[in-house]
Amino acid sequence: MQEQMHTQDLSERLSLIESMIAEGRRSTESWGWVFLLWGVAYSVAIAWGSWGQGLSVWGNRYAQIGSVRIGLAWPVTMIVAVIATLAIGLRHERTSPSTSLVRSVVSVWVAAGIAMLVLFPAFGASGRLDQHIFVAIVAALLGVANVASGLILQWKAQSACGVVWWVTSVAACFGSVAQLTVVFLSAIFVCQIVFGIYAMVLESRRNRREIVHA
Amino acid sequence: MPELPDLNPVIHGKLRLALLSLLAGVEEAEFTWLRAKTSSTDGNLGAQLLKLEDAGYVAVEKKFVARKPQSIYRITDDGRQALTEYVQALKQLLGSAITA
Repeated sequence: MQEQMHTQDLSERLSLIESMIAEGRRSTESWGWVFLLWGVAYSVAIAWGSWGQGLSVWGNRYAQIGSVRIGLAWPVTMIVAVIATLAIGLRHERTSPSTSLVRSVVSVWVAAGIAMLVLFPAFGASGRLDQHIFVAIVAALLGVANVASGLILQWKAQSACGVVWWVTSVAACFGSVAQLTVVFLSAIFVCQIVFGIYAMVLESRRNRREIVHA
Repeated sequence: MPELPDLNPVIHGKLRLALLSLLAGVEEAEFTWLRAKTSSTDGNLGAQLLKLEDAGYVAVEKKFVARKPQSIYRITDDGRQALTEYVQALKQLLGSAITA
């Protein structure tokens, strides 16, 4: 009996080591809120840009400042989303462990984000940006970031989201603007909002899991 | 019959074992994160971390962030080695218990 308890105790210790190492690694994967935040931000930008004008003109709402016409919906929404991401992300970083896994994934997203933030104002200033090009580039970069993160984290669901974004990118080269909008909104809903909620549910379940006491 | 290994008493305590294992999976971690992951009290956690620190298995960096004290812990090379040896000893003991 005592021998059996001893063996059980040893097995429990081995399981404890495995679960704690895995816990440390998994704790670095709390990204669900970012997907949800950006999914909402894209949706707000589209809604704002097309308000009262129909789905085919969501990129065409401008403000006249002197002799310059400036598109408002996207720049304002994206800047607010960037500020919110940084504010929440920095707070989150203070309470999370640091790992090379986190740095790898964050690097991928920061690089993709900077590419967009640099490219789109330049496109806007040159007057060569249309909605098809916009969606194709956004979707291609989101595809790259999602697939890269999915491969780093070995998370098939995220890689699948990346593939959906690439399909969206290709689809953006064809059809009318109204069709493009439907495709874009569908991808945002599936890959940002649904995936974000799914990730948050997984994180919440993980956090509720019983931790072994001393 | 080969002699069975002794388990390292510094690591053998469940909370210390959990802490060392948690730190083995990350580069560094804050005191509050370790407390949340192990559901331990400040006093007990601090005492167990101090034992690991005294044994040279973890290193601590204390700093102030926004005027609040912050303790950042990381596993040392000795700590990683000790944990590896502990796991090997555990497996050996389990193996002998099964074949006995």
